Amino acid sequence: MTNPIMTEQNNKTQSDEELLMEKLRSILLKEERQKVQRLETIVETKKNLSEKVDPIIEEHIQRLKTEFPDHYKQVVDRIVEQKIKDSSEEILNTIYPVFGQMIKKYIALQFQLLRESIDQQIKNTFSTKGVIGNIKARLFGIKTSDVIISNINKPIISEVFVIERDSGLLKGSASAVSTIDQDVVAGMLTAIKAFVEDAFDGGQQNLGMIEYDTHRIFLQNFPNYYIAVAMSGSISTTEKSNLTDRLLAFADKEINNTLFASSEESFKHISEQLEIYFIGKEIQLLT
Amino acid sequence: MISKKVILTGSFGVGKTSLFNQFIYSKFSDRYLTTIGVKVNKKTLEIGGKELSMLLWDIAGEVAQDKVPTSYFLGASGVIYVCDLTRPSTYKNLDKDIEYLKGIINGGIIKIVANKSDLVSAEDIERIKSEIPLPIDTITSAKTGDNVNDLFHALGAELID
Repeated sequence: MTNPIMTEQNNKTQSDEELLMEKLRSILLKEERQKVQRLETIVETKKNLSEKVDPIIEEHIQRLKTEFPDHYKQVVDRIVEQKIKDSSEEILNTIYPVFGQMIKKYIALQFQLLRESIDQQIKNTFSTKGVIGNIKARLFGIKTSDVIISNINKPIISEVFVIERDSGLLKGSASAVSTIDQDVVAGMLTAIKAFVEDAFDGGQQNLGMIEYDTHRIFLQNFPNYYIAVAMSGSISTTEKSNLTDRLLAFADKEINNTLFASSEESFKHISEQLEIYFIGKEIQLLT
Repeated sequence: MISKKVILTGSFGVGKTSLFNQFIYSKFSDRYLTTIGVKVNKKTLEIGGKELSMLLWDIAGEVAQDKVPTSYFLGASGVIYVCDLTRPSTYKNLDKDIEYLKGIINGGIIKIVANKSDLVSAEDIERIKSEIPLPIDTITSAKTGDNVNDLFHALGAELID
């Protein structure tokens, strides 16, 4: 049986010890406890935490901005590429309406320009010069509408090349625009011509025209050489005939006696004359 | 300046375009892209104080030369026939092809070139040379550039003479 007096004494001693320990703890850990309290205030108060953490995050963001392409570009590229491949149909569905709108706007603008151009042409048609032109056109059986339309998109010569038929070597050239090496253009034109003439088994027939969008290259063939005329705009049969006449006249006067002299002088002469005869000229004015 | 048309021909995959690119741009690529039709480019050479503008036609390879459109060869002053040291099929008909080319280029110069020397040993080159029906003019490597400039300069010198 336990002695109640002894038990009470024991309890008291234990309680005193705990108090002492707590005092000791508070003396020894005073500084640490204060630190913990300060930290708690920082961590648990948004404003205080933000003041401490924001500069670190900001620094990381800045570093990521500058270093991101080096570290992650390839990965992102691969992801985007794969995503495009996987979702090509969805992308098309999204882009289609946008393209549709763009095309619609472009066509509307072109119609507007065409209308303005026709209005201008109608005004010109009823001017003195226009009336004389109309009478001329009527005499030759050309409709007024054809005259108006042909005046809208006049063909203008930008480049001319005289090219040896078999070898594709350039014998003279003139250009209003700077293009790639003209010797290479002459070679490629000859290669295209040879390919088409061989591929479609045309016998003795020749390629006469190459067309791309609003540009065309008119090819006038002669026995040993051909002349390539690059132009913009649309060309009517009458203008084609005018151009052919001009090319024949040029060939007769300026080339036939000099082409195979194979000298630099011949090249210079042909090039200079090409410039005078053709460059920047409207084809309908060539006679 | 003198201008001359030179054709690069031979079977497919022998390295005609690689020789063309090595000579014109000093570049080589391991990627094989077959030539469609013709590619034309130019390089100006200075040989013995004279300037020569060499118009190079790199034409699509064919197993036999009579399959190449004849019109490509018209007016050519020189032909470089390329075969591949690693593929006997590219030189087994060499004699027939050269005979055919002589008939259509009308006195032009023909150079026979064995390409891809970087892929075979010196002993193998000697053995292969004995198997090729006609003497080889130049052994080249379009990859390393070995003998490429020499080939075109030698042809240029003969064209100017």
